[in-house]
Amino acid sequence: MSNAKFDVLIIGAGAYGLSCAWWMAKRRSGARILVVDEGEFASGASGRNGAGFRMQWGLDLNIRLCQESIRFFETAAEQLDYPRGIELKQDGYLVLAHSQKALSTLRSSLEIQHRYGVPSELLDADDCIRMVPALGRNRLVGGTFCGKDGTISPFLLLDSLLKACRRENVDVRYGTRVEKLARANGAFSATTKGGTIEADKILLCTDWAVPELLASVGINLPVKSLPKEAIVTVPSAPKVKPILISLEHHISVNQVSRGSIIFVVSRAREGTEIVSTPDFLGFAAPKIMDLLPGVADVPVLRTWGGVSSLTPDMQPILGETEVEGLYVAVSSFRGLMTSPAVGRIMSALILENDTNDPVLTQLTPRRFQTGDLIVEPLLNQE
Amino acid sequence: MAAAIEAVRRGCRVTVIDDAQRPGGQIYRQAHPALEGQEHAEPAEVARKHALIERFEHVVGKLDYRAGASVYAAFPNGELHIAEGERAEVLRPDATILATGVRELAIPFPGWTLPGVMFAGGAQAILKSHRVLPGTRAVIAGCGPLPLVVAAQLLRAGGQVAALAILRSLGGMLAQPLSLWRGREIVREGFRYAATVRRAGVPRFTGYVPVRARGKEQLEAVVLARVDAEGRVVAGTEREMACDLLAINYGFVANCELAAMAGARMRRDPLVGGWLPAVDAFGRTSIPGLFAAGDGAELRGALIAEADGTIVGAAAATAASRGDAALTAELADAIARRARHLEFQKAVRMTLALPAELWRLVTDDTIVCRCENVRFGEIKSALAGGHHSLNAVKRNVRSGMGWCGGRTCLPAIASLIELSTGSAPTEMMTPRPLTRPVSFAALARRGKVGAK
Repeated sequence: MSNAKFDVLIIGAGAYGLSCAWWMAKRRSGARILVVDEGEFASGASGRNGAGFRMQWGLDLNIRLCQESIRFFETAAEQLDYPRGIELKQDGYLVLAHSQKALSTLRSSLEIQHRYGVPSELLDADDCIRMVPALGRNRLVGGTFCGKDGTISPFLLLDSLLKACRRENVDVRYGTRVEKLARANGAFSATTKGGTIEADKILLCTDWAVPELLASVGINLPVKSLPKEAIVTVPSAPKVKPILISLEHHISVNQVSRGSIIFVVSRAREGTEIVSTPDFLGFAAPKIMDLLPGVADVPVLRTWGGVSSLTPDMQPILGETEVEGLYVAVSSFRGLMTSPAVGRIMSALILENDTNDPVLTQLTPRRFQTGDLIVEPLLNQE
Repeated sequence: MAAAIEAVRRGCRVTVIDDAQRPGGQIYRQAHPALEGQEHAEPAEVARKHALIERFEHVVGKLDYRAGASVYAAFPNGELHIAEGERAEVLRPDATILATGVRELAIPFPGWTLPGVMFAGGAQAILKSHRVLPGTRAVIAGCGPLPLVVAAQLLRAGGQVAALAILRSLGGMLAQPLSLWRGREIVREGFRYAATVRRAGVPRFTGYVPVRARGKEQLEAVVLARVDAEGRVVAGTEREMACDLLAINYGFVANCELAAMAGARMRRDPLVGGWLPAVDAFGRTSIPGLFAAGDGAELRGALIAEADGTIVGAAAATAASRGDAALTAELADAIARRARHLEFQKAVRMTLALPAELWRLVTDDTIVCRCENVRFGEIKSALAGGHHSLNAVKRNVRSGMGWCGGRTCLPAIASLIELSTGSAPTEMMTPRPLTRPVSFAALARRGKVGAK
């Protein structure tokens, strides 16, 4: 494949990178777009998450990004011409509170959700247990439920985007690591082991690894990595219909259609190593037993690790950096569920300089200099 | 067992974690105590088995033997996580010896998932541990010496063998007279098994493999066909045989998952067990304190495994500072035994080489990954879609994500990738905890590091 200058170089072929590439190719046919990824297909955060999407948030921008994205997921098979579909399942999210403080957060978020037409409702502890009998009563005070929330298969979303990109002549290369960036004569060059790639514009979709590349052009963006680990059980009888989030346990639970139950468990830990840590199961099992004693006898099949990005206000970063033509899209652990909307917004920004979407003002990379941080109350860092 | 005996002899505190209920492993598998009785193996093999088990029983009081326990995870920091019934525990020994052995290699073909089709070693295990015949009328197939051994043992147990199909004549080993001389005790046993099969008048089909298994609910018949040197079916050679048991062995794959999970450097050699931890002459892996012994380090058979266990047990029990020269001198006898049997194993290896085209027996709707019901057609389209590594195929079609974690299907998928793309996968599928399922209740109850 030729290495002549590209219009846009996207680094990172996860949900953000591939979605942005596909939207750009749709927006301007003939655009020369290259996506590179240091790993192989679905080997990063997008292929390792809990597979859920929700519009139950406490902040307008998250609600809007997810509402738009969920509309996309509902028609992804047609839009991406992928007849196999992406295993969309909308059995709802049940967000649980185990303290009065958490319950009042849920209540105030509900008001904002209703303003945007999110069909969410408040439940008491009995309602929650009626919905999921496997739940424990310990400290449970209530929750909120939205039936439009659900899951997709991360692998199938990525595969459908990859195939759609290639049909639109986007060049996607795996196993290509960009070592550093440089800017000269109004264009960028990206150094790789296989040679230098020239591009007019660059979009970084490497999530937690963004700071490393930005440093090579003298930009400092406060993005950290947040390692996470997940557990999957053997297929078992239906126990958890909606996805569960417990704000206090820092756990999300998702029983997928083939019966396996997936637990994503967060805990404060630094590093970028994608591994299962030795003490993880010992840490997670008692918490899971407390939250969901009904799974005591379910055998754990496997564990895996992933890394997501963590920004100072735990919100995504979308926009142009202080270097003209250099853009970032950092997900802050919700890349899969916001990727369709982010792809549309970033493609308009990069190709047409369209800055109209209010999300771009809120999520600008400049906010860390001006101090305009954002607060999302409904966070469990899932 | 040999490694434990040696480590105890050298004064170590030893814990042995064994999946099985009684010591012996696969080759020297013991029946349930209530079922002890007639052995169907050659007397010399039975004698070796009893001699080793007796030596182990002699020291078992001096060590912590955990029957029915398994290691479900091993980590680079030296931790071993074990499950025993409804209890889990974390151990952190100074040295760990992985003596995990091998499993059988599966080559998928249409009908191979029917009940009644099983591994030859699996059929033999049923005979050894439960003293029952796994079928009434058997077809036995594959390559190497095991199909012959299993045929003879089934006959001795009163079973009926309708056919013995061997890919490559064991007679090919005659081209290596020196190797055969070195392995003369085993060769003698082989001739006796062959005599049993001959006396029973079992039809032998050399150069034939099972290409299809047929049956409604379970196996009713198998179609054998001759294959050429590359493994392609020769037209017009198909013949159907009625049977209710098809026992197959196409060689072995090392149980290498724990070594890889612990971070040991791995190598791949399909002739001696596929992916293996790279070890030195004393079984040391690339991870300090982690050793591998026996067939799980390299497929070489039970006699070498016993000598190897002694050598690796000694090395693990000895401080690294003592130096290899001293160990080599002390272990001269075991090292010589290991070398002598290796000559013979090299001859056996030739009969285990698989022609590449055998993997093409699959059709689009043949299930390749049994746990996730992944058919060859799906794998083919993932490969056509540019997903060429084991991890990438897994992320597309879920092969290897089920109960067994790819223990059965990964060698097949690796070979299918090699056939389709012309190059073998360079990396094994990332091995993840747990190697066997353990309940949340057991995990939540488990003991602290180092606790007993």
